[in-house]
Amino acid sequence: MLVVQNLRKEYTNTVAIDDITFTLQPGKIFGLIGPNGAGKTTTIRIILNIIKPTSGVVLFDGKPMDRSCQNITGYLPEERGLYKKSRTIDVIVYLASLKNISSHKALQLANDWLAKLDILEAKNKKIEELSKGNQQKIQFITSVIHDPKILILDEPFTGFDPINQQLIKETILSLANAGKIIVLSTHQMDLAEKLCNDIFLINNGKEVCSGKLSEIKRQYGTQSIKIEYQGDATFLNQNKDIAHLDIYQNYAEVQLHDAVNPSLFLRSIVDKIEIKNFSVIEPTLNKIFIDAVKH
Amino acid sequence: MNKALAIAKWEFMEKIKSKAIIISFFLTPLIILGFSILPSVFAEKDEATTQAIGIIDNTQNYFQSLNDKLSDYKLEDKQPRYVVVNLFRQNEPIDSLKAEANRNVVKKKIEGYILLSENDKNGIVFEYRSLSLANFNDYKRFEDSFNKIRRVQEFKKANIDTALVSHLLNNVEMNTVKIDEKGKESSADFMSQYFSSFIFIMILFMVIMISGQMLVRSLVEEKSNRLIEIIVSSCKPDAILQGKILGLSGLTLSQIVVWVLIGIAFAGQGMVMFASFQNVFLLFVYFLLGFVLYTAIFVGVGSIVTTEQEAQQITSYLSMITISPLVIMIPAMQNPDSLLIRVFSYIPLTTPGVMILRLNSAPISTLEILATLGILLLSIYLVIKISSKVFRIGILSYGKMPDLKQLFVWLREKE
Repeated sequence: MLVVQNLRKEYTNTVAIDDITFTLQPGKIFGLIGPNGAGKTTTIRIILNIIKPTSGVVLFDGKPMDRSCQNITGYLPEERGLYKKSRTIDVIVYLASLKNISSHKALQLANDWLAKLDILEAKNKKIEELSKGNQQKIQFITSVIHDPKILILDEPFTGFDPINQQLIKETILSLANAGKIIVLSTHQMDLAEKLCNDIFLINNGKEVCSGKLSEIKRQYGTQSIKIEYQGDATFLNQNKDIAHLDIYQNYAEVQLHDAVNPSLFLRSIVDKIEIKNFSVIEPTLNKIFIDAVKH
Repeated sequence: MNKALAIAKWEFMEKIKSKAIIISFFLTPLIILGFSILPSVFAEKDEATTQAIGIIDNTQNYFQSLNDKLSDYKLEDKQPRYVVVNLFRQNEPIDSLKAEANRNVVKKKIEGYILLSENDKNGIVFEYRSLSLANFNDYKRFEDSFNKIRRVQEFKKANIDTALVSHLLNNVEMNTVKIDEKGKESSADFMSQYFSSFIFIMILFMVIMISGQMLVRSLVEEKSNRLIEIIVSSCKPDAILQGKILGLSGLTLSQIVVWVLIGIAFAGQGMVMFASFQNVFLLFVYFLLGFVLYTAIFVGVGSIVTTEQEAQQITSYLSMITISPLVIMIPAMQNPDSLLIRVFSYIPLTTPGVMILRLNSAPISTLEILATLGILLLSIYLVIKISSKVFRIGILSYGKMPDLKQLFVWLREKE
């Protein structure tokens, strides 16, 4: 279990993050989400011991994360790049050696991973000879080759075509199933929505919301309703339960006031119009993100 | 330590495979040789064709002998080097003779002319006049010839035996023998000392510049592709620093080994430069410590730059300091104990260069050797400390280079 407690990082004139607290469970994918400059990278760097927080602690299995944990973390930074002039296999073995993997073992593991990600042919090529997508795969391999307990992936999907995105997605899921603690930082809300169990939304260095994705959705979304109907729905304009209304040809999207129970609302309109379908819509993570950041 | 070694190994292996290092392995010795030998080769290269030289001998004493003497000088193809033309005419004022000779020089009918006349004090005025006064070998021959002739004539006038005179006129050349502290003798002369010191300082400069640039460039690369973040999240900044310095030192050492091998292969006896040092071991100690000191500075400095251009600028300025001892090279060799030289021996950045010079010219007291080595070691320790602090923050900051004030803040920041 990885616990991040009250992290704060100040620079000379700015506060990068303030009072950030969350907990990560093994086997779960944790979505660290926020706009550019929100403080995601700073948080990640502190977890990885690249920088020290001004205050607060990061605990792994109850003990403070220090440099002794460096061999159990894996990191895929947002901005990619490898030693362009070097051979793929050499780069993988070198970066693995920095995680205390012997070159003999690293060679073996590299072969497995190259096969798994379907780029065995890249093994003896120079990095600069590889396509962008394949370079990304190599970098992904370097972040997981030492079987880290904590894996931090910053925008792991950028630069991949849909097929490879799928491949990487499956790989990440299988790592989660193997009990890794995974932090996924991304702007691609649809993917975060599909992959993450828990979400932490950060903006301007502060927490906006956090928790299980399903709970956040409930929290943000129970008051949105979609009604398909026949007849004239203009009477809804006068309904005091409604905070916001969009009427289309055959359906309407209704945003209820917070205190209104959707079932009671249904009961109140069912006599006035012929309802074909009534559903509570979950907001997309994308909508939550935009709403949260805007407010 | 394991990780520092892994980094060192990587730096060494990747660099040694690169084209740049192969070029520097083989090109640098050529450049150094070029700088140290070619100027003298060119300077000694003579005019390869016969030259017409005029003589106006107003004293009417020397023309014949001078003509004979100058005709003795031959070109490589056995043709005479000089054809002498008598420009003196009886009863013509010297000024008109000179004017005519000048015209001939301008028209390039003659290369130049020698003017001999007596002055009021019964002395001789001896001039060479020409369009170009660059060929100093010619003057030397004219001067030698004239002085010999004049001496012979004067001795004859005094009735001294001509055989004795010619015997006396042969110069006896002086050999120099250097004695080291153990009383061992070696036949090094000033020039060979000069060149061996020069070559060693040049080598120091070249390796520092080349490897400094490599180091800074690789840091800039790792910064720009964010690999540095992966590395920093895998090992301590100190280990990175040590690894990089270690890898580069290994690279430099093997480079020097290659150079020495090339030297032995191409000029077996040219390796005299090693023999002229009393203490090759100490020399290498200063050399290596100097290298490590500069590399440690480069690591710190390299970590704060973000672009290739900034890197280039900074490395070239810093490497200039290594060759600064060349400025005081001649005074240092003539008077190795002077105050100025001593002062420079104790300034860490110039210690290696100056001590290489001094080691080559005269025995240095053990105390001074210990003191300078101590200063070097201490400054290496301090520089590594400071560099690693700057490094720790520098490698993670991008964009504008920090100013001094900001650097100071970094230095005070706790880990």
